[in-house]
Amino acid sequence: MNPYTWRAVVNGAEAELHVQPAERLLTILRDDLGLTGTKVSCELGRCGSCIVHMDGRPVNACLVMAYQCNGASITTIEGLAEGDLHKVQEAFLEEGGFQCGYCTPGMIMSVKALLDETPNPTTDQIKEGLSGNICRCTGYGGILRAVKRCGGNASK
Amino acid sequence: MLTRGERTSHKWRRRPDGPDKVTGALRYLTDMSLPGMLHGKVLRSAEPHAFVLDIRTAKAERVPGVAAVITHLDVPGLNRFGIVNPDQPVLCEDRVRYVGDAIAAVAADTKETAEYALSLIEVDYEPIPVVDDPELALLPESPKLHEGGNVLHRTSYRKGEPEDAFAGCTHIVEGTYYTPRQMHAYMETEGGLFVPEADGRLTVYAATQHGYKDRMQLSRILGIPEEAIRIVSSPIGGSFGGKDELNVQPYGALLARKAGIPVKLHNSRRESVRAGLKRHPMKIVMKTGIDGEGRLIAHEARITADTGAYSTLGAPVLNFATEHASGPYRIPHVSIEGVSVFTNNGVSGEFRGFGGNQAIFAVESQMNRLAELAGMDPWEFRRLNLREPDDPGPLGQRILPSAGLLKAWQSIADSEVWSRRTRKPTESEPWIKRGVGAALAMHGSGLGYGIPDPGGGRLSLTKEGKLEAAFSFEEFGQGITATLELMLMERFGCGADDLSIVIGDTDRVPHTGSSTASRSTTIAHIALSKLHPQLSERLIAGASAMAGVAAERLMTGPGGIWIKPDDDSGSSLAATYKELAETLGGELAFETKFDFPVTPDPIVGGHYLYTCAAVAVEAEINTLTGAVRLLAKHHAVAAGPAVNPMGYIGQIEGASVMAQGFTLTEDALMLDGHYKTENLDNYIVPTIRDVADDFTLHAIEELPEGDPYGPRGIGEVGSVALAPAIAMAVRDAVGKWVNRLPIPREELIESFASQLAGKTEGAGAT
Repeated sequence: MNPYTWRAVVNGAEAELHVQPAERLLTILRDDLGLTGTKVSCELGRCGSCIVHMDGRPVNACLVMAYQCNGASITTIEGLAEGDLHKVQEAFLEEGGFQCGYCTPGMIMSVKALLDETPNPTTDQIKEGLSGNICRCTGYGGILRAVKRCGGNASK
Repeated sequence: MLTRGERTSHKWRRRPDGPDKVTGALRYLTDMSLPGMLHGKVLRSAEPHAFVLDIRTAKAERVPGVAAVITHLDVPGLNRFGIVNPDQPVLCEDRVRYVGDAIAAVAADTKETAEYALSLIEVDYEPIPVVDDPELALLPESPKLHEGGNVLHRTSYRKGEPEDAFAGCTHIVEGTYYTPRQMHAYMETEGGLFVPEADGRLTVYAATQHGYKDRMQLSRILGIPEEAIRIVSSPIGGSFGGKDELNVQPYGALLARKAGIPVKLHNSRRESVRAGLKRHPMKIVMKTGIDGEGRLIAHEARITADTGAYSTLGAPVLNFATEHASGPYRIPHVSIEGVSVFTNNGVSGEFRGFGGNQAIFAVESQMNRLAELAGMDPWEFRRLNLREPDDPGPLGQRILPSAGLLKAWQSIADSEVWSRRTRKPTESEPWIKRGVGAALAMHGSGLGYGIPDPGGGRLSLTKEGKLEAAFSFEEFGQGITATLELMLMERFGCGADDLSIVIGDTDRVPHTGSSTASRSTTIAHIALSKLHPQLSERLIAGASAMAGVAAERLMTGPGGIWIKPDDDSGSSLAATYKELAETLGGELAFETKFDFPVTPDPIVGGHYLYTCAAVAVEAEINTLTGAVRLLAKHHAVAAGPAVNPMGYIGQIEGASVMAQGFTLTEDALMLDGHYKTENLDNYIVPTIRDVADDFTLHAIEELPEGDPYGPRGIGEVGSVALAPAIAMAVRDAVGKWVNRLPIPREELIESFASQLAGKTEGAGAT
């Protein structure tokens, strides 16, 4: 057993695991906790497929090691909605903000982080806030419409 | 214009796979796991071209936790794969031809153990000179990759006497065009779960675009009957053609069968880049001539495609490029020749657009130059030369006449974006230049004449009382499940909860062909047009007997069969689907088989159905940095009715941005047979920042009268015409011709001093 104990609050529930201190949060979530809603794609922090919230801030889970998030509060896509769908999830459904859906969990977590900080973002602010998330299917049109539906202003 | 609005509101529906996608609940095949499963890893070649003298695996086999190590000696059947011509080794015996070639694979209790064991496998190579240039590969002294030499395939099409006809041309344009090694860059890399079942069968949970083809190929490799294999191939995190060919399936299957334990494989992005398919880089040399009035007289094209190390669909891609190299124009004298060449540069294969994108960039660029020489507006020049609906197709074959091309042309002519070509706004800074461009294309659907292209479908009332449609299609994001749902709801008048849609599982669906070549929507339309009346009639007959109401007074609807009101009293339910299923006592199923429509003329690869499209674009070029920014796009697509507007818009928007990457930033660079762009940090896919703020989609929905083929596929056509439109916009903005993609920024940079000087001179000149 690994001597290192990792403790965190994941989606509101306490989690305790014995892992390598340098284990990636991405691996902990997907392989140890079975939270496969967080996706794996480039594994170098470029594509945003693995974005989760760590103490309310968006992070690429592939770049965060166990020792860096020990004691933190982690929210993944599975923990976003309380009961019904979150308004961002509703908006993605309604506007066609996804196709294959593989970038979607990370994208939605980025949108949530953007709206937490900037409730009524301009188009430029949306583009800045989501520039760390690659979507290969939609051409981003449906994503922009979804975010605007959530409170973004169509104007610059 | 096709937007989310009143016109589409009744068909604007949330996708059935949506809730699971936005909540992260959806299990992709690479998310699956089983208790006690093993983790597989594949050893890829360290050399792009070498003889393999020896492979030693003893040390790897001794690592605790390793359950199976395989080499070519462990392949019981055919040690080759390839959709058309199986020439790619599953596991190389004595030679490697690219850095993605597999030599060995390991299954172990953890991924780390598998990786460690892989590092202990020793391979002795004797390097062979690397063949990394298709033109050099054609020289007699070049090393030969395959027994038959370095030519995979040649094409040729000829009509008239082009050589003589050039002599009579007033203007001739000669151009050489280069296109990049674009990567599909689906967000989910290849992988899956491979499960040896208790009854001796094998279940493969892995992405593909043609489950039955994977089953056939794996059966050949494993030396077991096809029926002993089940392929579950959906959902998929993106494909764009890239997962059509086998990728990790042979290794997962072999390891799982050797170990007798389920095995999971999931490529890292680097493994995906190294082993995966790319779009064929092409060099296209064209010579095109017009008469004094601007009419096209003669056209020559010479296409050289870098197909990489193995065949996969390299030959059909070249056929497609050849077919699309003369554009939607009337040209009396044509000569097109193509060659697809083996090199040690990865493997090129199927990719959205299928060779059309490259050819259309070249031929549309020729049109731009010719129009300028003729002193004509480039769009009027196209109108003058446009083919007529009844003209033969680009290979001289009969094609289905359509007015779509002219309508797509007209859409651009009438567009706001195109109107800005003549009245340009003043640039804010002297180094920012604006330009407008447009391009036109027709793009074939289906696999083409002479290539087996089976379609079909099954429609049934299940024992549970669901209306069930089954097709061997895959859902990789395009929205085929949403489209099927809409088609069924429209035909039966039923609700979504009356439906069951089954795809992507060879144990549960009939063979209805591949999810490629923009064919699925057309196949589904034809199949349901045949099957719906059959099932509907039986359901109504059943309800008629149950309720004692004449069949003429019954109709299918939400929840079951309804009695049509004969006054204002409103309709009432005669029998629910569930009651019908119980009364009929079992499944009521209808199946159909047919081939995708092809031209009656025996021209291999020739298409019958085409989707026509045009795009206009406004771009801004920063001549200090060479950056091209897109401000506005107007896409016109003539593909028949928009069955699923959300899907339709999404496909065109997505294809357009993918084409933007092809034009401006994307290229999987190779040096001496090794990839220099190994991940998404230096392989530059467009982000949300690159999106044009102004996007218009004009869906031209009219079909010819009595058309039996219904909606045409729109998965590819949004990607084929953007590059030459941007090239025209660049010419318009800065006066430079672009002949290489992605457009090299350095070609657009001008010194600040020269620009200031130019501004002064420019003011004087205009």
